[in-house]
Amino acid sequence: MSPEMLAYAQMAVSGGLMGLAYALVAYGFQLTYAAGKAVNFGQGELVMLGAFVGLTLTGTGLPYWASIAGATVAGAGLGLFVERAAVRLALRQHNEGWILLTIITGLFAVSAAENIWGREDKPYPTPWEDASIDLYGISVTWPELAIAGGALGVMLLIELAKRFTLTGIAVQAESADTDAAELCGIRSDAVTSLSWAVSGAAAAFAGTIIAPVTTVGPTMAAALTLKAFSVAVVAGLDSAIGLVLTGLFLGSAENLAGFILGSGWRETPGLVLLIMALAMRPQGIFGKKIIRKV
Amino acid sequence: MFTGISAGIKEKSAEQLLLLALFSFLAFLPLILQGQYALGLLTMMAVYGILLIGLDATVGYLGQVNLAQAALFALGGYGTALCIQAGLPFHLALLAGMAAALLPGVALALPSLRLEGPQFALSTLSFGALTIIVLNQCESVTNGALGISVPRPPVFTIELDARSFYWFCLVILFSVWQASRFLLKSRFGLAIEALRDSPTATDALGIGSLRHKALAFAWGSSLAGLAGGLHLMNFGYLQPSAFGYDLMVILLLGVVFGGRRSQWGAFAGSAVVTLLPNLLSNRVLFSWLVSLGCLLSLAAPLKAAVSRKLPSFSETAPAAGMLLCLALSFLVPNIELWRKGIFALFLFSAVVGLPDGIAGALTGIIRKIFVFAPEPLPAASGGIPVPRTVAAIPLRTRNIGKSFGGVKAVDNISLDIDQGEILGLIGPNGSGKTTVINLISGLYAPDEGSLEIAGNRPRPGSLMASSNAGASRTFQNLQPFSSLTALDALAVCQRKYDRAAAMALLRIAGLEDKARLRCSELSFGDLRFLEIARALATNPSLLLLDEPAAGMSKPDITRLIDFIVSISKTGIAVLLIEHHQDIITWLCDRVAVMNGGKLIALGTPVEIRKNPQVIEAYLGAEDLHPACMNRSGIQPC
Repeated sequence: MSPEMLAYAQMAVSGGLMGLAYALVAYGFQLTYAAGKAVNFGQGELVMLGAFVGLTLTGTGLPYWASIAGATVAGAGLGLFVERAAVRLALRQHNEGWILLTIITGLFAVSAAENIWGREDKPYPTPWEDASIDLYGISVTWPELAIAGGALGVMLLIELAKRFTLTGIAVQAESADTDAAELCGIRSDAVTSLSWAVSGAAAAFAGTIIAPVTTVGPTMAAALTLKAFSVAVVAGLDSAIGLVLTGLFLGSAENLAGFILGSGWRETPGLVLLIMALAMRPQGIFGKKIIRKV
Repeated sequence: MFTGISAGIKEKSAEQLLLLALFSFLAFLPLILQGQYALGLLTMMAVYGILLIGLDATVGYLGQVNLAQAALFALGGYGTALCIQAGLPFHLALLAGMAAALLPGVALALPSLRLEGPQFALSTLSFGALTIIVLNQCESVTNGALGISVPRPPVFTIELDARSFYWFCLVILFSVWQASRFLLKSRFGLAIEALRDSPTATDALGIGSLRHKALAFAWGSSLAGLAGGLHLMNFGYLQPSAFGYDLMVILLLGVVFGGRRSQWGAFAGSAVVTLLPNLLSNRVLFSWLVSLGCLLSLAAPLKAAVSRKLPSFSETAPAAGMLLCLALSFLVPNIELWRKGIFALFLFSAVVGLPDGIAGALTGIIRKIFVFAPEPLPAASGGIPVPRTVAAIPLRTRNIGKSFGGVKAVDNISLDIDQGEILGLIGPNGSGKTTVINLISGLYAPDEGSLEIAGNRPRPGSLMASSNAGASRTFQNLQPFSSLTALDALAVCQRKYDRAAAMALLRIAGLEDKARLRCSELSFGDLRFLEIARALATNPSLLLLDEPAAGMSKPDITRLIDFIVSISKTGIAVLLIEHHQDIITWLCDRVAVMNGGKLIALGTPVEIRKNPQVIEAYLGAEDLHPACMNRSGIQPC
């Protein structure tokens, strides 16, 4: 390969690996959307809080793996809190109040993080070696591989649980028809809470695996959330595979855009892609077409 | 029991008086308040008032969370700034600012308004982010992140000082306020309310949901542009980063905090948004404010505790939010650092505790204290509208079919209905009757076959096209316009807005004395009659009734039969799906029977009753003695 092509390929690969992080955060939207058609507009703040909790736990001398587990559990708790405080009431009343309330809880989370952990960005220590791996001239770092492996692993785990455990099947039933599921003895509140807890856990986990690359700070997830939103809308809110593919594509596209057009334009491919997808295929590229019923 | 004080005037007049009082007060303020800073804040409040009235058009009236308003505000500002730099006079620059927000706004609205809820919010969010990037990156035009600064131009050759500029903004706010009020109280406003309740019904009745949504969004966008232009003239300086996500959240929350679907609410929101940062910097005032909030929010859970009920979430959560706020205000040394958090807590309490905002809560209290004189009802005139096209056959379908996946829901159906004819469509559950109506009314496009309504061939799969061609329908599962009154629900469906004719239709439907009730307050039976009257208000040639008698009481069914007879006498063709066999026998000239998506019989009620295929479809029996059937239809032995 020519050096120029190699540079492009390098950009595409490292962008694609980062794109899997977007896919994981977008997967969090998918989980809560399935249970009650709501998403957390403060999901990025959960990612940020997850990273901070992980950082604090590592600071107390816990090993890296334990800190990730701790942050994930904390994320599940926060997800539950958001569902209870911001979403449940509004969904019962069938209004859009939950959009506002999740934005509000996110706002509070940023303010709290600023005051508890400080406004400046902090590095996130990892046990990985600094060395990068060379694959046919394209170098990949260990934290990048951790993002890819972690994101794919978590999504795979949750998807398997959804298909092969009784609880997972109950969640699917709930998302297909809430009333019918309740009539079959599925507690729909519990299922919704569970979905939000898993979504929060996924967000916090995402925070701990992204932080080594991006550093930790109160606004670390602002741009990330926007891209996760793009991925979720472009792919549609039905298919996990769709998220992975869209995440890979978007991650490479924005890295290439930043490389070719200048760093200020990095965010544009996601946004343009999103607006195009909305105009042409509102339910998302991998989304199911909605049939109106009366 | 407290019954309220009679105000002796109409609510509308009272509101106008209050509005005049408010604006006189606002106009008087700069004479007492001295200093550039206070004046700047007041001007900002007026500008934000305009901006939030615009935002309320989508967030309040459309019920869609719009996160693009801050970006449109910025575009308006930049548009005005560039035009002033180019030497355009002031009024043209303001107009250009409006256009600079309006055009991208419409370009965004047309695709994204087809979406609902979170998807719409996400698309507007991306538009906002994209706008800020473009403003930052196009340095040759916008001067990038450094920002652009422009001196305030003279208004028609008059140089305005800060105070006159404030008055100028106030005049614009007043005009925008009145225009918005007028617009949203007119038929256009009724249509917006209707489509929020049921977009399917608004399309099926020919009102058109996308068109009205786009217009409401366009109105909101141009107000954002106007506000942007005034904002530029107030500060003389613009910077892209000031119009990002933070501003958007603050604007959105201002509207919700103040109260949705109300110009008063938008204005209250703008006052809060402008003044809150200043309140936070004054510690004493802030503590007072928080304590007051605590007291107010504790009232609801205490009331519940006194009556020995477990307080609900919406009663306890605001109190919890305010108490946390109180704790912060005592424990934290510098509350400025917690500005966002405190703002969030206030808003959380307000959104949960006051779903209609400050303005909504105050209006509720005023309506409890005072009794206003009601708006007079129009005198009824006219009857059931006669079909527009007289020559053509009202409905002709040829071999239409529709599949869902592997299921052939409708298979090769050909039907003709004559003027004034009542055709019954019966069949077991799941035989495809409602799908036939959905195909004719344009909810679905047929996979094959052709369809003609009153001589027109409507575009397949378009509710609007079918309605314009002359078909009108009711819904098996009611689709009421819950927030409209019975009279408004009819008036909004009319092709020619005529309240007297709507009143007449209401009388024919037997709902004359319920004209002022909201649809949400009507009984199930009344709503069924209202749906038929609503369908008639569109002046149809063909009326599609989907199980109108379902869930009706015996006397209501008699009324319904008379109603349908009087409809068919005007020449309107009626397609009637019904399970009550006696209604079918009484009313129908011919009956079509469906089973498994296919038409298995077509004939007079008497012929149908004797048809062995029909008997088999209903009862699954092979040999049935004619004696098993009584006068009113088929019944098992």
